[in-house]
Amino acid sequence: MMTQRETLACLGVVAACLAPVCLVPGQAYAQEPTEAQLRILRIESTPIGALPPLPLPMPASRDHHYWGIRAQAGNRHQGGRDLLALAGGIDLQWRGGSIFGVTGGYQKRDCALAGPDCGGHLFVGGRARFNVVTGGPTLAALVGDYSATTTLGSEIGFGYAPEVLNGLDACTIDVGMPISLAMLQRVRVVTFVTPGVVLDSDCTSGPPTRASFITGLGVGIQQLGLRELDVYLGLQKIFRQEAGYQFGLSVTWVRLPSLDPPGR
Amino acid sequence: MTRNIWLTALALLLPLLSACQGRRGLEPPAPQEIETSVFLVGDAGEPNPRQLGPALRHLSEQVAAAPDGSVVLFLGDNIYPEGVPQEGAPEWADARRRLRTQIQLIPPGVRAIFMPGNHDWGGGPFGLYSLRTQEAWIAEMAGGRDVSMVPSNGCPGPVPFDVGRLRMVILDTQWWLHDYIVRDERSNCDTNTSGQVTAALREQVRPTRDDQIVMVAGHHPLVTGGRHGGYCGITGPFQRFAGRSQDIMSSANRTMRDSLESAFSAHPPLIYASGHEHTLQVLRGGRSVHYLLVSGSASKRECAVKMRESYYVSQNRHGFMRVDLLRDGSVWLGVYRYTGQGEGEGGLSYSRLLNPRR
Repeated sequence: MMTQRETLACLGVVAACLAPVCLVPGQAYAQEPTEAQLRILRIESTPIGALPPLPLPMPASRDHHYWGIRAQAGNRHQGGRDLLALAGGIDLQWRGGSIFGVTGGYQKRDCALAGPDCGGHLFVGGRARFNVVTGGPTLAALVGDYSATTTLGSEIGFGYAPEVLNGLDACTIDVGMPISLAMLQRVRVVTFVTPGVVLDSDCTSGPPTRASFITGLGVGIQQLGLRELDVYLGLQKIFRQEAGYQFGLSVTWVRLPSLDPPGR
Repeated sequence: MTRNIWLTALALLLPLLSACQGRRGLEPPAPQEIETSVFLVGDAGEPNPRQLGPALRHLSEQVAAAPDGSVVLFLGDNIYPEGVPQEGAPEWADARRRLRTQIQLIPPGVRAIFMPGNHDWGGGPFGLYSLRTQEAWIAEMAGGRDVSMVPSNGCPGPVPFDVGRLRMVILDTQWWLHDYIVRDERSNCDTNTSGQVTAALREQVRPTRDDQIVMVAGHHPLVTGGRHGGYCGITGPFQRFAGRSQDIMSSANRTMRDSLESAFSAHPPLIYASGHEHTLQVLRGGRSVHYLLVSGSASKRECAVKMRESYYVSQNRHGFMRVDLLRDGSVWLGVYRYTGQGEGEGGLSYSRLLNPRR
């Protein structure tokens, strides 16, 4: 059994391996972006498009609010180019169900659009996910897993990324209806789908453009070696031409209360 | 380059995956290793009238082989649906049948304790009458067995008793939640207010010897991933509006749990055992107790979800739990789960050593 310190050290190594790649500018060549490309760019530059999807939180005691931290790495592959993003976040799981989080991160710019010295940009976002229906095995009963949990919820998020292209700030707002199925006892394997709709805009110049459908799929392991640790792999598709796919890794850690020292 | 990144990440995750496989279930201890056994049986008040069912039948077999001094703890809801009915009611005979089925499981030499649950109090103002009648029935049906209702006479407890290294503290948690009369001129209880209950509990969970194991038992769970915990269906924030005192989300229930947990805080007991949910759950305690056990599926079964605090969850299956105090000083927990009726299938589905958490 790994200790908490060892596990966090492993995660640090993962982050350290990924960080330099994200910070290295890609090949630089510029072209004039079309409106369709800008629309995709706005979505993929903010957390909803830059980072992999996540399932609804694992249920927890109704008596507590739990704080957690999150590390995410995503890579959007489109048109032969890769846009890598790294992010970190803080989440509050409210009374065991709903979760409220903020995210900040860094993403490589699309050098095909941004031109030489494309570098990268920052992004921030917020997200609320509401656990609406949580229940028994349903589909998992077909394979005889009576410890399974099916969860249906809703989520709403917003994102902001400054200077994703010269003079262009990206803003998004999205709503979704995540569904997840968690199975097995000792290690909890969860599969999830996160269909939703996202509206994007150039923050400084008017209302959002028309909606884009977006869907995430993923698989994860909850309580991976530690009660507090979850790891997820996610795949995401924006349903627009030339949007490509995004694939990523998310690691979350939730702080559980410890026993108070005797004599308190 | 990108491919290398993901391969590196996966390679680093493999040790974590393998670490997870390090947790193995423990085999039941050999009989000669066991000092005392405690069987936790909850919500047994709806036994099948035609056959015993696998959970109660296997419980009976295990109890018969348990060492002298072992304890069977019925964690409440001993008679469904509303406890003892009024005399002459059509349900009268069936209520006696439900209780007799449970008492007959107990062999000589084993102590059995019936705790009251919310259904034993009934849903109306006849709670004290129902409890006192059930207590009289238990004494009458015991037939020489060491079987009793604790706390007695509709009192809230806590009632402590020691069995070797084990200290058990029994509470009637429905006393805190019942909407009608909970004491009268016949009550004569040691504790009469919630403050007195909390103060007495605080004293009783304090170990009196270094190797003492403290287990507190009450019908209602402190934490649960079942229907009463705001799961299984429309979840907590929406259930909150219902305000049912039997549910974790209600203010009355919360007040009770806060009081109990404040009493535990100086000396957290190793185990808090409960029923109420018709599931089997082993949970990590919070700040006030090391382990939370929910064993309420002896005769009924329902949904439960595995929570962040859960070590183990079984839903929609009958079963019971067994806590063995071993001669080497350790404490072994076994969860026995069964499917179907009649012979059924199943057995030990989860086990672990209950070491104090740090």
